[in-house]
Amino acid sequence: MKFRKILVSVLLVVAMLTSMLSLFSCGGNKVAPEFKMPENGFDISKKVTITFYHTMGANLREVLDAYIVEFNKLYPNIKIEHKQVGGYDDVRKTISTEITVGDQPNIAYCYPDHVALYNMSKAVQTLDVLMNSDKTVKDALGNETIIGLTQEQKDDFIKGYYEEGMQYGDGKMYTLPLSKSTEVLYYNKTFFDEHNLQVPKTWDELEALCAKIKEIDPDCIPLGYDSEANWFITMCEQLGSDYTTANGDNNFIFNNETNRNFVKRFREWYKLGYVTTQEIHGAYTSSLFTMAATEKGNSYMSIGSSAGATHQRPAKVNGAYPFEVGIATVPQMDANNPKVISQGPSLCIFKKSNPQEVLASWLFVKYLTTKVEFQAEFSMASGYIPVIKSVKENPIYADYLNKADGGDFITTLSVKVGLEQENAYYTSPAFNGSSVARDQVGYLIQRCFVATWKDSEVDAKIKAEFDKAVKECKYQIGK
Amino acid sequence: MADNMNVTLQEKDLKKVGVAQRISGVFAKILCYAFLFLIAIIVLFPFYWMIISSLKTLAEYKLPVPTLFPKEIVWHNYVEAFDAANLGTLFKNTVIVGIVSTILSLIITVLSAFAFARLEFKGKNALFAALLATMMIPGELFTITNYQTVSMFNWKDTYTVLIVPFLVSVFYIYLLRQNFLQIPNELYLAAKVDGTSDIKYLWKVMIPLALPTLISITILKMMGAWNSYMWPKLVTSNPNMELITNGLRNAYSDVSGETNFPVQMAAVAIVSAPLFLVFLFLRKYIMKGVSRSGIKG
Amino acid sequence: MVESKHRWKAWLYLAPAIILLLIFTVWPIINTLHMSVQEGYNQSLAVAGHEFEYGFGNFERVIEYDNFITCLKNTMILCVLTVPLSTILALVIAVCLNSIKPLSRFLQTIYFLPYVTNSIAIGMVFAAMFNIVGNNIGNENELITTAGIINNVIEFFGGDPVNWINAGSSYWANITVMTIYIVWNALPFKILILLGGLQSVNKQYYDAAKVDGTSRFRVFTKITVPLLSPMIAYVVITGFIGGFKEYSSIVGIFGEKMGPTGADGSLNTMVGFIYNAIESQQGTASAAALILFGIIFIVTMINLYVSKKKTHY
Repeated sequence: MKFRKILVSVLLVVAMLTSMLSLFSCGGNKVAPEFKMPENGFDISKKVTITFYHTMGANLREVLDAYIVEFNKLYPNIKIEHKQVGGYDDVRKTISTEITVGDQPNIAYCYPDHVALYNMSKAVQTLDVLMNSDKTVKDALGNETIIGLTQEQKDDFIKGYYEEGMQYGDGKMYTLPLSKSTEVLYYNKTFFDEHNLQVPKTWDELEALCAKIKEIDPDCIPLGYDSEANWFITMCEQLGSDYTTANGDNNFIFNNETNRNFVKRFREWYKLGYVTTQEIHGAYTSSLFTMAATEKGNSYMSIGSSAGATHQRPAKVNGAYPFEVGIATVPQMDANNPKVISQGPSLCIFKKSNPQEVLASWLFVKYLTTKVEFQAEFSMASGYIPVIKSVKENPIYADYLNKADGGDFITTLSVKVGLEQENAYYTSPAFNGSSVARDQVGYLIQRCFVATWKDSEVDAKIKAEFDKAVKECKYQIGK
Repeated sequence: MADNMNVTLQEKDLKKVGVAQRISGVFAKILCYAFLFLIAIIVLFPFYWMIISSLKTLAEYKLPVPTLFPKEIVWHNYVEAFDAANLGTLFKNTVIVGIVSTILSLIITVLSAFAFARLEFKGKNALFAALLATMMIPGELFTITNYQTVSMFNWKDTYTVLIVPFLVSVFYIYLLRQNFLQIPNELYLAAKVDGTSDIKYLWKVMIPLALPTLISITILKMMGAWNSYMWPKLVTSNPNMELITNGLRNAYSDVSGETNFPVQMAAVAIVSAPLFLVFLFLRKYIMKGVSRSGIKG
Repeated sequence: MVESKHRWKAWLYLAPAIILLLIFTVWPIINTLHMSVQEGYNQSLAVAGHEFEYGFGNFERVIEYDNFITCLKNTMILCVLTVPLSTILALVIAVCLNSIKPLSRFLQTIYFLPYVTNSIAIGMVFAAMFNIVGNNIGNENELITTAGIINNVIEFFGGDPVNWINAGSSYWANITVMTIYIVWNALPFKILILLGGLQSVNKQYYDAAKVDGTSRFRVFTKITVPLLSPMIAYVVITGFIGGFKEYSSIVGIFGEKMGPTGADGSLNTMVGFIYNAIESQQGTASAAALILFGIIFIVTMINLYVSKKKTHY
């Protein structure tokens, strides 16, 4: 009797649960269809609301708001609702959750690995059909323009930034750059002038320079390099060696002789006290760079983000900066063919079932990325590098660039250096696992630098650390 | 019980015991205070850190080896904190969500804990074990499913979605059940014989006796509303529905989009103040037992 | 007759809790189960309509992971160290707080302050206390430019500074820091709970003991602890459950790399592993969560069994 009762209740529960499961899981594919250009193009008479997720602080939101007003003069029917979701990780987490019910925004700030993640759900709209469209649209001021980008507009983008949108292994365009930063070499100009030192253009020059600086000041660490991962990836690019690929079964191809050799070389530098990194130091290396030279362990060079220029400036003492900061392109393997990393947000558009929404999103993305005045003001407010070259011809912006110096206008100087190296930007492949690879090569450098090994076993140990990193990468993406 | 003892004790013995106890009592008191003050300093340190951080410049805050006292006191951080975020709305939302969810949660918790502690029904132990088991799975795994559920209910951007999913906390049910178990069962049986209804007994006997624990739960639940971050962010897209932590984390960034931590700390200090006052008010009830009878431990 | 009346009443009292739990806790758990038995389940792919085969591959993947044992070991060590330590400390503090009269309000207030302290501040304090900003400047001598407060104290008493959390620090130095941090974090909650429990203890027992001339220690072990045992059991059991889910405290001190520089992952825990997988490998994350669930379940059952034997209700 009792047993039967239990059996019945268990069966009931199981039946209930299975019915619930089938009820929920038959939702199946929640992805909006691929965008198709409507016969009549964009309809400016119908109201559409566009949501935009970003990470902008209050001062940047002000700039954005001002240009939304301008944009609405052209397209009064498009309502832009934008929201700061937090940091980049918050944007990624929020959107990847929202995608599961089809509630993602129309436009978002993104990094390539975010797009690779969203794209697993096929939620990102490829831009090719939009940016190559020669359909025209007549705005409220009566100007008739094509929906897509003109060849002139395409060519105006800084090449490396533009190409980031095509790094997904299928040749399609997924993103447009909004504003960018890079890594630059900050150096203590006062110290360099005083000792008649040359700014290093190549790694060989840097090595010799470090030796020289150590002679002048044995208690210093000449160079601080903030991001171990950037260092690794940039070296692969400069040496032309393999790092990762978005295609095929084996994405992680960084375990090769060339890469092991540069890690070994830099490890020696670390052991000689030439260099330290952010993780090894325990704080941004700018703190060593801005330290007084009389203190032990200070540095005279620092490689860090161009957007963090103000942190590389020493605090004023008695109303004056203790030293002047110089900014240069990071050292290269081949100074005639420089390669520097590009960072900072791009914009991606999400698929929606209403093609008018997608078109409106596109028009706004196009506006933000190609409008010279917006790009100029955004750059001045953020310290990021504008993504189109014609900004330099804007008189207000040209004025701004002219003020660049190593003191009060250090941000301007970093932007200026960033713009001058416009042909040097590279991009790395983006795929599910590209951020894992990034993390792992960073840890790899940390492990190799810090470990104490016998000279005879260094090669074998470095090889082992590379093997470990590749294995971890593969594990984390489920291979 | 105490009365029985009194009868058996001799007057003389009582005096002797009293003196010896007083001497060891003084010694124990001193030890006790020294210990409490030592721990107090350790426990207080983060709070002290929050306050001094809120008065530092961003540059000083970011020094690799932090300073123990700000070199230059920046009161302006507080002004900025007040101006930058929409504190009024954030505050209103948080108070509404905090109070409503605390009250509802208390009701649910009391009823459930009572059932588990005092009532006999079939499957009680199995059900209780099952409830405990739900505590053992990391809650983050629930996020996506719960998000899908509330989307299906069309609850996004409402107070409901901020309140309802977290009303039941097995932690608190368990805590209160344990507290109810401390109350002698004889009282309940006596009340049953008298014909007192369950609800009346609960209200007249159990709740007053478990008041300190209920106050603790109130404090913890309120803190929960104050600190919740990930879930509110996910389910609210309207800035008018934001809760305090979401508003605070995003509001204070400098030119390069980097968080201005000192200002953020100042904002945290500002919004912590009301909570602190609530505690000062509730503490009276937690400590009530002490003032009722001078127990010595 | 009374029995059956009780029965529906009990279920009535429990109804609100059960309904909400079914929707917001039980249903997600079922979903977790469902994900864990689909090989290589990935939410993003599932949204796009990808179908997965059923099987136990996810569980195999978790167990085969190189660092699985490390994660398990760290979780266990931290649990075993922190739960008894924080419980005993909290118990002593609560009893002390309960036994004093002057200044008790003031001290109570101080012990509450951690609740209104932002977690960012707590993380920072630890950096300040244990950090060594040290760099290799070559010449084979390690240079420590500046050391945290703890090292200053050690040096003041003539000791050598210890590398607590930075590059090259030892595993047990890391564990020591984590233990202190977790105990510190857990203390205010436990004090609050135990103090609340002490207030519900029948005062007559103490009065009796007082008259009886029982020693303080005896009062503590023979009266306070037994009478408070339901609350102690609660603190221990929830402490273990929380301890097995330890993750954010390690991120707070060591960052996402879950270990000191150069030894990333050396302090990783079970939940750390789950977090790592939660965004792109939900099948693996679910399987790991269920394995963790199994472990916690067994430990809790043992705990419950022991506490039932020792608890005085």
